[in-house]
Amino acid sequence: MADSAVHGSKARPRDRKVAQWTRDYVRLPGIPDEFITPDGAPREVWSRFFDYFASLSPPEITRRFGAADRHLREAGVSYRAPGETSERAWPLSHVPLLIDEVEWQQIAAGIVQRVTLLEEVLTDLYGDGRLIADGAVPAAAIAGSAEYLRAVCGIKPPGGRYLNLYAADIGRGPDGRWWVLGDRTQAPSGMGYALENRLVLSRAFADLYKSMNAERVAPFFEAFRDHLRASADRDEPRIGVLTPGRFSETYFEHATLARYLGYLLVEGDDLAVSGDRVHIRTVAGLKRLDVLLRRVDSNSLDPLELDASSQLGVPGLIDVLRKGGVVVANMPGSGVIESRALLGFLPNLARRLLGEDLKMPHIATWWCGQKSAREEVLDRLDDFAIEGAYGAAVPGFPGPGPVLAADLSASERDRLRNAISNRGIDYVGQELVSLSTTPVWDDGKLAPRPFVLRVFAAATADGWTVMPGGFCRIAERLDSRAVSMGQGARAADVWVVSEKAVTASTLLPTVDTVRIKRITGWVPSRAADNLFWLGRYLERAEGTLRLVRALSVPQRDPGKGPQHQSLERIQRLLVTWGATALGARANPSKIAAEALQNEEEFGSALSLVRAAQRNAASLRERLSPDAWQVITQMAERLAQPVEDDDGVVSTAELTLQELASFAGLAQENMNRAAGWRFLKMGRRIERAINSTRFARQFAYDEATGEDLDILLTLVDCQITYRSRYLVGALLPPVRDLVVLDPYNPRSVAFQAQELNDHIASLPTLRAGGLIERPQRLAVALQSTLITAEAATLDAKSLFALEQQLLELADAIGQRYFPHGASAMRPEKLMGLA
Amino acid sequence: MIYDIRHVTTYSYGSAVSYARCSLRLKPVNGDGQQLISHAVEIKPRPINRASRLDFFGTDTESVLIETPHRLLRIDSRSRVAVNREARSRAADSPAWEDVREAAFASKSLGGGSPIGYVFASPLAPLEQPVTDYAAESFSRGEGIFRGAVDLMHRIRTGFKYDPKATEIHTPLKEVFEKRHGVCQDFAHVMIAGLRGLGLPAAYVSGYLRTYPPAGQPRLQGADATHAWVAVWCGEPIGWVGFDPTNDILVENDHIVLAQGRDFSDVSPVDGVIVGSRRQKLGVAVDVVPVE
Repeated sequence: MADSAVHGSKARPRDRKVAQWTRDYVRLPGIPDEFITPDGAPREVWSRFFDYFASLSPPEITRRFGAADRHLREAGVSYRAPGETSERAWPLSHVPLLIDEVEWQQIAAGIVQRVTLLEEVLTDLYGDGRLIADGAVPAAAIAGSAEYLRAVCGIKPPGGRYLNLYAADIGRGPDGRWWVLGDRTQAPSGMGYALENRLVLSRAFADLYKSMNAERVAPFFEAFRDHLRASADRDEPRIGVLTPGRFSETYFEHATLARYLGYLLVEGDDLAVSGDRVHIRTVAGLKRLDVLLRRVDSNSLDPLELDASSQLGVPGLIDVLRKGGVVVANMPGSGVIESRALLGFLPNLARRLLGEDLKMPHIATWWCGQKSAREEVLDRLDDFAIEGAYGAAVPGFPGPGPVLAADLSASERDRLRNAISNRGIDYVGQELVSLSTTPVWDDGKLAPRPFVLRVFAAATADGWTVMPGGFCRIAERLDSRAVSMGQGARAADVWVVSEKAVTASTLLPTVDTVRIKRITGWVPSRAADNLFWLGRYLERAEGTLRLVRALSVPQRDPGKGPQHQSLERIQRLLVTWGATALGARANPSKIAAEALQNEEEFGSALSLVRAAQRNAASLRERLSPDAWQVITQMAERLAQPVEDDDGVVSTAELTLQELASFAGLAQENMNRAAGWRFLKMGRRIERAINSTRFARQFAYDEATGEDLDILLTLVDCQITYRSRYLVGALLPPVRDLVVLDPYNPRSVAFQAQELNDHIASLPTLRAGGLIERPQRLAVALQSTLITAEAATLDAKSLFALEQQLLELADAIGQRYFPHGASAMRPEKLMGLA
Repeated sequence: MIYDIRHVTTYSYGSAVSYARCSLRLKPVNGDGQQLISHAVEIKPRPINRASRLDFFGTDTESVLIETPHRLLRIDSRSRVAVNREARSRAADSPAWEDVREAAFASKSLGGGSPIGYVFASPLAPLEQPVTDYAAESFSRGEGIFRGAVDLMHRIRTGFKYDPKATEIHTPLKEVFEKRHGVCQDFAHVMIAGLRGLGLPAAYVSGYLRTYPPAGQPRLQGADATHAWVAVWCGEPIGWVGFDPTNDILVENDHIVLAQGRDFSDVSPVDGVIVGSRRQKLGVAVDVVPVE
């Protein structure tokens, strides 16, 4: 017993600690708490948890929390608050929410029953419509929802279900029972974050996690994956996570899910309808896509039949659904069941459709579209939270709900009363409830905070399965209503704690169910585009950094290195590259600092790394966390102000080292499938262009020895040159080494050869034997370089070479990327015809 | 009255269009005081696929897929329609608007013709308090819905300026209302939003007007293009009645109905997506000629 241990004279130090925490933990009056029962004793699962916790020294606790936070930061776990442009780090509460297994089973049974009911209701609403005709559901409670998709009526959902994934927000009410606060049927979010929270916490507290016997969540994802695979109408279906893109507030989660489940991460632009199927645009042409796990809202899915202004969907998608050509999870229109207007009718529907009473109650709700309910709400207006019947907004009142009549001025109150009288169908009254609190760890103490728990259920072949855990959002304010991520809340992992040891499981399938595969020869066009530009931006950043370094070293060590005239050539190049707004004759130190880190200039190293970071952000599911981390570090370093020439040089050098380590990661760790080739091609073409430009600038027809020296430094060939030629820098040998020598990995010829190899390995579209344009240009380029001689290389031929390279880069874009001529974004026909 | 209708839509593009997927709602309604005698749509270039179905609102919708590169898309629709609707007095009796509202709220159908589909905001007809307040002036307590709707239609006709240059398809309702000008589509949306604000079912109707008026009568606005007006649900047994706020007339035998929906976005006669050109020019020519 915790109590006797606390008061016993032989109490262990850790018992005293737990006792202290318990004493300092001040519950909110009249509100139930997860840690402490109403009679003041800690619950058993929490005692076990804190008993272990107390065995850790304060520095050890700090260290482990720090490790968890660092892991989140390094993995790039983030979300975007509504209206913000940059991503935020994920605020994690380090104490998980603990739920006893026995209690959890009741929750899970309630959730399974509820989603079974909702699926039946949806099937009827979009199908036979008996519930409406019988009056079991008022037509108005459905017709008012923007998620009631008329275009979908009568379509049988391919795959057989409306709901494949379901989430419910639940909380513990004043009576100690768990209550459903809301249903999420459209495209429930939070599952990926729950997964990430679990990974982080189970790592930081591995021993504790194990000793607590927390249920694993991996089997849930496994079951869901099996189900989605089975829902398609062929054996090895291609499955995509449809995301609105990297500006979506939960983009990180979309990428996480895609990576964890092994799905493609796709945007509407990546998809095209052809025949009666949905296809993904890849560098090898259109490939059929069988299943879409959508994180785009229904109304945005098809500009042809739904919201015409949407850029996020696929024109013709609804028609493909009509013909059964694609499974969309969840089925468009499933969100209609989230309406609060429906809540009051569910208990009767459960009895009618399932022959059972609802196992888990939801917040008592009065829909004002019915006269008796409307009159009751108007009679006791102050006793209710007024919410919109169909969405987040309360019609006629700004911001998301609820509206509390008691908080309104007299005239606003009249307005609310009038609105409800006139258009009661738009409003519900909900009982005001306070939810339970759970402990958070702040400054070495435990404190209670209100929370909402999101529970997830997935369809499987054997019915619904509930994730043993979930996504817990914790409010910072002590008001136990209205919790949303955007409002500065923390998230917590959720442990379902069992008496017995649980069996470990990961997403590893059994051996006999897997067919060996080695390489997938294609990559989605948009991913190829992003990889190519990631490579180009990083290479350009490298070129800029080399220029900056070459300019700064003589400033730091006066007297050493090249003279004024040659330096001016570096400055001129930085100006034409858009790295600085200062003129070529400005102070060299200032130019170097600008070119390093002025983010106003698109060509500065910082801007280029940021651009690379944006490309990488769209490739999150394809990049290793290490690679992402290197890019983030570079951007952070370049953004830190530098003091003097020495700071410029060392920042440039450290960043160059990181660029090399990124290249190494790509070289050693990235799968050699088509995606890798695009990253390499981006680097190769940019390096070839840069080397040509350097050669034009510093190996011009009247170049001095000093100019040539700079060139050899810029292309990193000083040592090779010295070992090969005993004389100082002379024009023809330098030109040969920098431009024509196929054995020098920095030469233009070397890049051309590599580009040829990559292009030859990519899939071709024309089977007619015609050579495709990128290959034609690359072969021509290489033969130019093979047959050229250093003696005849001059300013004019260098310029022609640069033009050839630019043309090749353009041809690669036209052929492989989505913005090429072959696949333009559909434009909407306009006009009142 | 029997009409021959010719409705030609042309899109000319700045560069070749390689792909077009269109939805056409060009087939006049058969029934409801109208009889469709013949109908044909010719499309150039020739589509590789044409398929018709009834959409949610019961409108015949043709899906068309064109994969022949083209710079000009021409959709030529010809119909012959007989129209015979009963005339109503502008002062006809009808149920009180509050009762119609309750009856609509209690509707037991979600179908395309059910009034409940037309009391909520829709994409192009958001509910705005000033518009609701404006409409409320026509509906004093206990007023018959029919007379109220006639009065609202009349006030829009006299209070708003018809100006084809003032608005385009995407001009928001709020702006139309504040500036008091627009075309048939705008007036229809204003009337619809006002009625719905009061909880009354109002639908958007697209169709045609006879081009040349009978001798001695003025030519109606909107006669050389597609036209739009409002249908109001007046409770049982009256049902849906057409009001043309652009011309301040009840819909009788000069109007031919193409489609009814919540707003323009549900009934747009030609709609679609194309691949290949950013510049496009739209031409619409409509002729509605009485045969006898």
